[in-house]
Amino acid sequence: MSELNELTPGQLAWLRFRRHKLAMVAGGVLIIFYLFAIFCEFISPYTPDQRNARAINAPPMDIRFFDADGQFHPRPFVYGWELNINEDTWMREYQEDTSTRYDIQFFSRGEPYEFWGLIPTERHLFTVDSESEGYIHWFGTDSLGRDMFSRVLYGARVSLSIGILGVGLTLFLGVLLGGFAGYLGGVFDNVVQRITEVLQSIPTLPLWMALSAALPAAWSPLATYFGITIILSLFGWTTLARQVRGRFLAMREEDFVVAARLVGANDRRIIFRHMLPSFVSHIITTATLAVPAMILGETALSFLGIGLRAPVVSWGVLLQQAQNYQVIVMTPWLLLPGAFIVITVIAFNLLGDGLRDAADPYSSLSKT
Amino acid sequence: MPEPLIAFTRSIMSKLALLLCILQSIFVYAADYPELWLEPARSAAQLGIATFTQSPFLEEQNLPPVAERLPDNPPVILPLDDIGTYGGTAYIIADDIPMFFSHEGLVTIAPDLKTILPNLAESFSYSDDGRELTLRLRAGLKWSDGHPLTAEDFLFTVNELQLNTEFLPVTFRDFVGVELRALDELTLVFSFENPNPFFVNYMAQSPDLFMLPKHYFQDFHPNYTDREVIGERMEEMGFSNWSAFIFTSMQQRRFPDLVNQPTMRAYKAESLTPGLFTYKRNPYYFKIDPAGQQLPYIDTIEAQDIRDNAVATGQASTGQLDFSGVRMQTSEIPLLKLGERNSGIKVSIWNRIHGSDLSIQANLNYADEKKRKLFEDVRFRRALSIAIDRDEMNEIIYFGRGTPRQVTVLPNSDYFEPEFASAYTQYDPAAANALLDEMGLIDVNEDGFREFADGSQLTFALEFVETETPKQVSMELVTSYWNAVGVDIRMRIIDRNLQYARAIAGEFEMTLWHADRTTDILFPINPDFWVPRKLAASLAHWSEWSRWYLTGGELGEEPPPNIRQLQAWADEMSTSMDPARRVQLGKQILAANAENVWTIGTIGMAPHPVVTSARLKNVVDTGFWGWDIRWTMPYHPATWYLAQ
Repeated sequence: MSELNELTPGQLAWLRFRRHKLAMVAGGVLIIFYLFAIFCEFISPYTPDQRNARAINAPPMDIRFFDADGQFHPRPFVYGWELNINEDTWMREYQEDTSTRYDIQFFSRGEPYEFWGLIPTERHLFTVDSESEGYIHWFGTDSLGRDMFSRVLYGARVSLSIGILGVGLTLFLGVLLGGFAGYLGGVFDNVVQRITEVLQSIPTLPLWMALSAALPAAWSPLATYFGITIILSLFGWTTLARQVRGRFLAMREEDFVVAARLVGANDRRIIFRHMLPSFVSHIITTATLAVPAMILGETALSFLGIGLRAPVVSWGVLLQQAQNYQVIVMTPWLLLPGAFIVITVIAFNLLGDGLRDAADPYSSLSKT
Repeated sequence: MPEPLIAFTRSIMSKLALLLCILQSIFVYAADYPELWLEPARSAAQLGIATFTQSPFLEEQNLPPVAERLPDNPPVILPLDDIGTYGGTAYIIADDIPMFFSHEGLVTIAPDLKTILPNLAESFSYSDDGRELTLRLRAGLKWSDGHPLTAEDFLFTVNELQLNTEFLPVTFRDFVGVELRALDELTLVFSFENPNPFFVNYMAQSPDLFMLPKHYFQDFHPNYTDREVIGERMEEMGFSNWSAFIFTSMQQRRFPDLVNQPTMRAYKAESLTPGLFTYKRNPYYFKIDPAGQQLPYIDTIEAQDIRDNAVATGQASTGQLDFSGVRMQTSEIPLLKLGERNSGIKVSIWNRIHGSDLSIQANLNYADEKKRKLFEDVRFRRALSIAIDRDEMNEIIYFGRGTPRQVTVLPNSDYFEPEFASAYTQYDPAAANALLDEMGLIDVNEDGFREFADGSQLTFALEFVETETPKQVSMELVTSYWNAVGVDIRMRIIDRNLQYARAIAGEFEMTLWHADRTTDILFPINPDFWVPRKLAASLAHWSEWSRWYLTGGELGEEPPPNIRQLQAWADEMSTSMDPARRVQLGKQILAANAENVWTIGTIGMAPHPVVTSARLKNVVDTGFWGWDIRWTMPYHPATWYLAQ
């Protein structure tokens, strides 16, 4: 036990967190997803609006190492596909043509794009030769022949960042308002509390709908994106503000704060040196658990057609475009963004769970 | 025969076969219906039918015998495939009710999309100068309550409603200068200020505007009933005044009083509850089949009020509906075809009558001077048109089975020339870029989009209603094509009522509609998409010029000479008695449109799925789907029957 006592609180938390296997996995998944989102232009083989008229509603393609004769190829490849519209069924039928192999090339040239809108390039992580007839759609394509894999990645950028941004804004509002309310008390506290109650008593979905309907249609996609983020966080801060206020109220009277005050520490030192560190972990946990709510909020609004709109690609927008009977029966791969949403939300919840355990000062290592 | 000769013959034969295929594809409208449908229906006397039978459904209803309910000499309609059997309930959704109606007017439309045939009238004829139209009603026609249909009903509707300024403060354009008198109970004479050779077309396409049952509506008309009494009735029924009530009836909106109103149609409203509408056969319907059976065959129609395309598609594809057309979409054909294999429905592919599924309109009368200058420039409109890759659109949205074309009439029209359809449809982004560059629209700030010549931002708002044809998905593609030549466009879907208000007020920058009126039925009388003569939700590109025309120059804006010329041509076309001259004028109008691209077309004559259940018989395999012919009017829905 003696060497443990020499660890910093951060190291302690990390130790505890590492014991939470599920949270570790969830954290790993989220890191991967966020890497996808950050580097989506590079990782995706196509740009999100690039159409392939020869692959409309094409099912996911197999990426192979073994060819039709069972021979192994060290470089993965896809077969060429032949499109044929069936005269009777009007279905687009895709026939694998095993005589044409298209090797997957790494760091090769494809559709030009600007990385982060800054660096013009045409390198993609993997493509097939863009000069050739071949194509690679390993999540299939939508009704306009757009690559679903690329669209899911670009959608991740919007959907995942809206979660972080929204929570950031929520945190800012919640800590600021809650902190002041708790520390100052009095009239200010009263006003904030009443506003919180009013906001919490209004059902969120209709309110979101009303506000997003009020977003001007002429706004650029980027402006709409920020508009939606702000709308989502405007109603998210109340819970956090309450918690922060409660913490402040409780802690004002704690022995160590009283002690600090008695030895003559000023307000600033008390707040930042004594009070804040003791519940920063709590805030982080709350924030982590709030991210999926934001993501789901965006998805719900876009799904209802009042959030983000095409040409913006988000998971919600993708699902909105997939919401018809035909998709379920004929092109189920268009529902893949839904799987990503589910995984993300679960991962965030598990991560939050792990963080809470790790940050809880009363839990002991031996218990976990 | 020596080898080479055989080979040669084979190659000739295969070329011939190919030629035949091409010819066949040109005449896609190859007759799919009995030749007899192109001729006036024979009468029972002509065919020697003397005994008439009725549906068992009508027995024990205390009705007069069927022979007395039918007119003196009922018209005989030849069913498509076979003589039907009586009975059954057809399940449909409410939007498809009119497809079962058989709109019954004095005259009707033949399936060749050209010929006007007698219907309630047994004959009609024009005077040589085209100023008089005489129609002779069949003797013994009766409304669905047994009251006789006579000239009185038409006199009432035309003279006391259509031409009554209390009923309609502004008379419908097609009724201006029209007078109606009756020579006797059965002979009607319309006289016109100007020759009006296409008045019969109008009468065939909009029968409800000509005939309401006088004996029913006189109780609501101030010429016959005390105004106070009417006022009380209106209050009870929830209408502000009598004209609103009768106007609603005329439009055949679904409202409770429809149940009381007599009709000439095959089916009559029985109960209209929210969500479910029931129609029953009209016991006095006037047509029979060749076996002497009174039509229609089906006894009852039950229609659910479903407004959601997805639900409608789900029901249609799983065989829960006997007929479905209005809510069916091209993109869902594979799904419906899957249903065809799994649940025994039949999916027929008709062709939409629309000359183009989209008529994209840039407002030539737009208030903003800078944008208006742009829209007025023919180079701009041509550039936008040739920037569209119609072949790709056809592949992506229409399974390659639509026809890339501009907004123009159908190929079987007398007014058609192939170049009207093909003008500026050739995909050529380089030429489009060149045209836009030439206009001085250059991308100054290198954001990928062009700016005005003075460097200010250039963005267009294109607002539209998603209805009838695949507009949103088409516009997604069109937007990407236009973006590719540096034209920034923002599209937005709006409400239908908003579309109407903004279109007639000329407030749109750009909008779109679907282009019907493409047949010889409606084009010669209402060449709406090609000449500014009308204010409508579908025509937003020159509302001020139309207003000027409609108000005789009092309101709106005077059009430039070439547009005045168009209006003059259209006026002459609809009043000329010389068919050759009419065709010449119509072609001049269409040629001017092809040259100027006043509206931009995309894909026309698109495949439209029509779903019928396994038990619904006598429905044509392919037809034209659209407003010009009231969808099913020429295909005799009264002869549809449910096999046991």
